Amino acid sequence: MNTPETPITNTGDKRPNAPRTWKNRSRIWGIPVATLAIWAALFLVACALPALPVPGMSGMITIGAIMSAISGMVLGPAAAIGNAAGGLISILLFPYGFNVAGVFSFIPAMIGGLVGGLLFTNKWAWAGIIELLVIGSWFVNPKAWQPMMWIVPLPFSVVALLVIFVGPLRNWVRRKILELDKVWMWPAVALMVIVTHSAEFLTTNSMTNWIMNLSWQYWVPTWLYWVGVDAVIIVIGTFIGVGIMTGLRKARLTHIVDVMEK
Amino acid sequence: MIGATFVQKDTPIHSLDGRTKLLALMVIFTLVLVFTDPIYVLGLLALVMLAWGAAKIPLSSIKGILQFFGWIALIILLLNLFFYPGETNLFRISGPVAVIGFSGYITLEGILFGVAMVLRLLVIMIVAPLLVMTTPLPDLMLALVKIKVPYRFAFIMTTALSLLPAIQNRASIISQAQLCRGVSDFEGGKIWDKLRVMANMMIPLILGTFRDSQTLDVAMSSRAFGAPIKRTFFMESHFHSFDYVVIAFSCLLMVTGIVLRVLHLGVI
Repeated sequence: MNTPETPITNTGDKRPNAPRTWKNRSRIWGIPVATLAIWAALFLVACALPALPVPGMSGMITIGAIMSAISGMVLGPAAAIGNAAGGLISILLFPYGFNVAGVFSFIPAMIGGLVGGLLFTNKWAWAGIIELLVIGSWFVNPKAWQPMMWIVPLPFSVVALLVIFVGPLRNWVRRKILELDKVWMWPAVALMVIVTHSAEFLTTNSMTNWIMNLSWQYWVPTWLYWVGVDAVIIVIGTFIGVGIMTGLRKARLTHIVDVMEK
Repeated sequence: MIGATFVQKDTPIHSLDGRTKLLALMVIFTLVLVFTDPIYVLGLLALVMLAWGAAKIPLSSIKGILQFFGWIALIILLLNLFFYPGETNLFRISGPVAVIGFSGYITLEGILFGVAMVLRLLVIMIVAPLLVMTTPLPDLMLALVKIKVPYRFAFIMTTALSLLPAIQNRASIISQAQLCRGVSDFEGGKIWDKLRVMANMMIPLILGTFRDSQTLDVAMSSRAFGAPIKRTFFMESHFHSFDYVVIAFSCLLMVTGIVLRVLHLGVI
């Protein structure tokens, strides 16, 4: 059955023969707005569950950190939109989260989702540029040049940069996740979660440093704690990420892999 | 599960335009992050309590949120007592522990900063739900669109807000089902056990709600979501005289706060 087409510019799909219908306007980077709304609601629910305290500051790290760590694999770059929407509302509804930048505290989750999503959809150059900007925003702060402050972004950012810029490693990570390899999917998902989470936590660290003007006296003694927190988030994110990616493919539910395959 | 939902009342706060409430919220959020002197933060808390009183909503309606506050406040207070680099030593409790940055003394600045951080969190925790509890979802969406938030983004936000109870309910059903199957208690255990149980709950939750998203997508498509037409709203919002008063007061408060901060007042 033919459906009437409207003379508008197709913004959602860049393929040469993409249908020029308004249906594409109900999608953002190929992901239906409905799916993004659902993701935002899930992110919101996760933000209601406090997990770990933030030493020396008000607020808690919530399960939302795990959701944003896997968002890039599930939604692609559109994860940035879902995370931003969920993050914004969570500030209103569950304000005990770590909202160091007030209403702008959704930005780290947005950046994390964007970097992870861009990498997963093989737009690695953009992912790399954003990751470098995030790392740069840490080192632009004069406090970042105090003794030992260089260790703060070190552990996971190095892995993230390796995954983004080393072609064979990047391709292996993407391929193993897309193939749902039973064994190698686990480390591949872990690396993808590290990339996403490192972009998120370094954005948070940078914003915190600029806003709170923190020095090495805060960061260096708490460094081990933060590495532990990030490791816990990455491990749990890997478990959930593998389950979600396998489940979405087997149940044939709409996610970024469908968009990539089309 | 916890959270704030709209409470119907006939009060000046409820009748305010959504845009006015968003502006006031933004100002309070900014100022509470600007000041670190407990007296100034206490002033903001008094202002927020006044708004709660005017909205005629009992604070007990956010007891789910506030029940977290007690122990979070305690952690924040203790951490600042020990680690804030103050100068006025009050009493010594141990020798210096350089590796964790602890001087061995409890300082006056540490106590003041700890109290300010607790008050700051309290202000944030009680001001944010007030917006949601005094603004119906359509009004909130309209306010977002009117302040030029893209419609699709505003739609995602308000849909997420409206889906929250359904997803919380689903999460509760999944946790009950897992308890029936012998999964350890969600409330007890160590942090690691809790996180592991959480992972077991999140996978079916995410997959189940993703299935629902397909139904929502079809429903939206059948209502021509994204059609290239000028969107209109059944309800229109307008500023009233009280809105202008609140906007003027918010702007004045913001300017005063910035001036005070520039003069290094309101900080420890």
